[in-house]
Amino acid sequence: MLQVHNLCKEFDGIKAVDDLSFTIEENSIVSLVGPNGSGKTTAFNLISRFLKPDNGKVFLEGRDITFFNPFRIARLGLGRTFQNIRLFPQISVLDNVMLGLGYETGERFSAALLQSRRMKREEASNIKKAEELLEFVGLSGKRDSPAEKLSHGQRKLLELARILALEPKIFLLDEPIAGLFPETKRTMLGLIQALKKKGGTILFIEHDLNSVMAVAEKVIVLNYGKKIAEGRPEEVTNNEEVLSAYLGKRRV
Amino acid sequence: MYNQLLSNGIIAGSIYALIAIGFAVIYRTVKFFHFAHGVVFAAGAYFAYTFFILFDINPVISFFLSVALACLLGIAIDRFVYYPLRKHNAPNLVYLLASFGVFIFIQNLIQLIYGAQILTLRTGPVKVGHSILGAVITDIQVFIIIVSLVLFFLAWIFIQKSKLGKAIRAVSDDPVGARVVGINSEKIILTAFAIGSALAGVAGILISLETNIEPTMGFNAILKGIIASIVGGIGSIPGALFGGVFLGLAENLGIWKIQAGWKDTIAFAILIVFLLIRPSGIMGIKTEKEKI
Amino acid sequence: MEYIIHILVITGIYIILTLSLNLIVGYTGLAALGHIAFAAVGAYTSSLLALNFGISPWIGIIVGAILASVLGAIVAYPSLRLTGDYLALATFGLGVIVYSVAKNWVGLTRGPMGLPGIPAFSIFGFQFSNVWAYLLLVLVFVLITYLAIRNITNSPFGRILKGIREDEIASQAMGKSVNKYKLIVFVVGAFFAGIAGSLYAHYITFIDPSSFTVMESIAILLMVVFGGMGSLKGSFVGASILVVFPELLRFLGMPSSIAAPMRQMIYGLLLVILMIWRPQGLLGRFKFK
Repeated sequence: MLQVHNLCKEFDGIKAVDDLSFTIEENSIVSLVGPNGSGKTTAFNLISRFLKPDNGKVFLEGRDITFFNPFRIARLGLGRTFQNIRLFPQISVLDNVMLGLGYETGERFSAALLQSRRMKREEASNIKKAEELLEFVGLSGKRDSPAEKLSHGQRKLLELARILALEPKIFLLDEPIAGLFPETKRTMLGLIQALKKKGGTILFIEHDLNSVMAVAEKVIVLNYGKKIAEGRPEEVTNNEEVLSAYLGKRRV
Repeated sequence: MYNQLLSNGIIAGSIYALIAIGFAVIYRTVKFFHFAHGVVFAAGAYFAYTFFILFDINPVISFFLSVALACLLGIAIDRFVYYPLRKHNAPNLVYLLASFGVFIFIQNLIQLIYGAQILTLRTGPVKVGHSILGAVITDIQVFIIIVSLVLFFLAWIFIQKSKLGKAIRAVSDDPVGARVVGINSEKIILTAFAIGSALAGVAGILISLETNIEPTMGFNAILKGIIASIVGGIGSIPGALFGGVFLGLAENLGIWKIQAGWKDTIAFAILIVFLLIRPSGIMGIKTEKEKI
Repeated sequence: MEYIIHILVITGIYIILTLSLNLIVGYTGLAALGHIAFAAVGAYTSSLLALNFGISPWIGIIVGAILASVLGAIVAYPSLRLTGDYLALATFGLGVIVYSVAKNWVGLTRGPMGLPGIPAFSIFGFQFSNVWAYLLLVLVFVLITYLAIRNITNSPFGRILKGIREDEIASQAMGKSVNKYKLIVFVVGAFFAGIAGSLYAHYITFIDPSSFTVMESIAILLMVVFGGMGSLKGSFVGASILVVFPELLRFLGMPSSIAAPMRQMIYGLLLVILMIWRPQGLLGRFKFK
């Protein structure tokens, strides 16, 4: 589904991402882990093309998307969330979700100007879809609140609802459970597993190895921009290099 | 002919540079465009007119009084307008618009008080200039260039070597880190406004020795100052000097081939080109890039 | 009484300008500071077509608006690469350049001497030179502008504009072609501003560069912000108050040498107060991001 070959990105002489390669199979849950600053979010930015790679290629379903515009990549089915949650703060929760939904002609200027019946029909059906998504994540009560009024946990759920609206082929979730209460964490992880059951493919960034163990089928570990381990969660957590990356060099 | 244009360019450039240097010092600490800087420039000229012409006070005292008042004006603008905005964490655009508001308010206040007519600081007849390398240059013009250069060096050494100067650079590069080491950023910002506004005041007085004083003089001045800053590098003092002189030369050499009225167009075309291609200018400082 | 109708006509023209700028600044969040330049293009185009080629103002106004849109497309380009105060500066610069062209390209625009004797609109021989008739004409255009912009913003298209204002990057992550929307918004905003410019020209029958200075652009922006960012009703309110209020000063018998700077001082003060206390304006719900 997603193939990354030899991605490189340098900032001011520091290699943020160094010759990174991996493959994500369809309908799998993979976790990208590593200590702070190991290049996880940068990797996401490179794949979704919000940053330009210095080197390397990215393939989505066999198609080379390395040089596509970010919005095009989103339309081709790669949905991503952001580490510091990018919602649309001053507009309503419902509108936030609706911006993820697709329209055939409703988003066109001409449809808007002339208030075509087609646009109105698409709008009505999308409102229903959006409401269902809000129901799914448990935010129906906040439908008309501006997004900035939500709590941290609610914002994460809204982000999820929004990316679900996009109906992507692959979900790139950047720290989906960061900062959440344990209960909400479990809800979120449950939702991720439910996504997989529905046939989705998920790649998520996470710090907390324990949460990862519970859900991921495969784990990719980064350190200083390089991939240092890849495999099933049990294998990876016993890997020496991984342990020393997280805990620091062992002192004799 | 050529040399005359060159000389005119350098003289105009010196004034632009002075404005830009003050602007740069301020920008470094607050990171937004203090458009009202232009009206502090104009105020300097009007203060000088008031003391020297209206009240017939000794020119040297008038000069220092005017610069001091310009300095206070700049500080007042920061305290009353920008400080509340800092408390609200306003985006840069809001500061710019507020600055426009201050500019419009004060410029028209000046017009209300002094009227729209042209005033001048000159008292005697215009002295004939010296002829150097085919260009005619007056004593006053030489004075302008020398003062500008001296102030440039003083400003530059201050920023590079003095304790306050280093604090300014610290706040500029890393506001949070600066606070961690105990630098009071409000005090630093105050200092920057004081220095920058004083420089603007001086520039306003200097230019009034050469040309006329009228209420809208600040507008043109700040536009040129901003363009000079963007070209030379926003926040950089050597950049301000470079940008100012570059702009002065470009304008004057430009109107050799094109009519004088197109001077502004040339300046703004340069601005837009730089904004699109290299917004940080030739020697600019780091501004924060959005983190994704 | 005629004077009051005259004020209403001017208010109507400013309402069109405010509505069109609100689309760009209030809904899409683009810091566009040179809006009067579009009006200038509209005004000069239809005036020159009428004066030099005898072309009817009805055609001239459309051609002017189209040319204004072309300028809008050009202005859109910096908005793709610059944000916030940098974009404000660039659009400000473009506004100055258009003003400069109007003032210096004497061969085309007669520069500071202006264009006198611009013919009025006429239909079947009836000339719209009477103030009442012109008010009707302006009101029709105000209605058209309002309906168009209301439709545009009250739609999925409009929602995307708001999304762009709130967060461009998130908008792209949702698959929206942000650049395309910015372009459209500038083209449409410029179009209606061009219409306003032509309406002004054929009403006053004389235009010169001094009607199209940067201060005018700032005044229109003030009307948008004051009335309310992203609020169409707010644009009506903002434009009306800011046009009518200074006229009251004149009513109080203040000489023009005092009234003119006073008016500007009020604008300046209002801008500062708005930015500090209520950046979303009277009826607006959105602040600059």
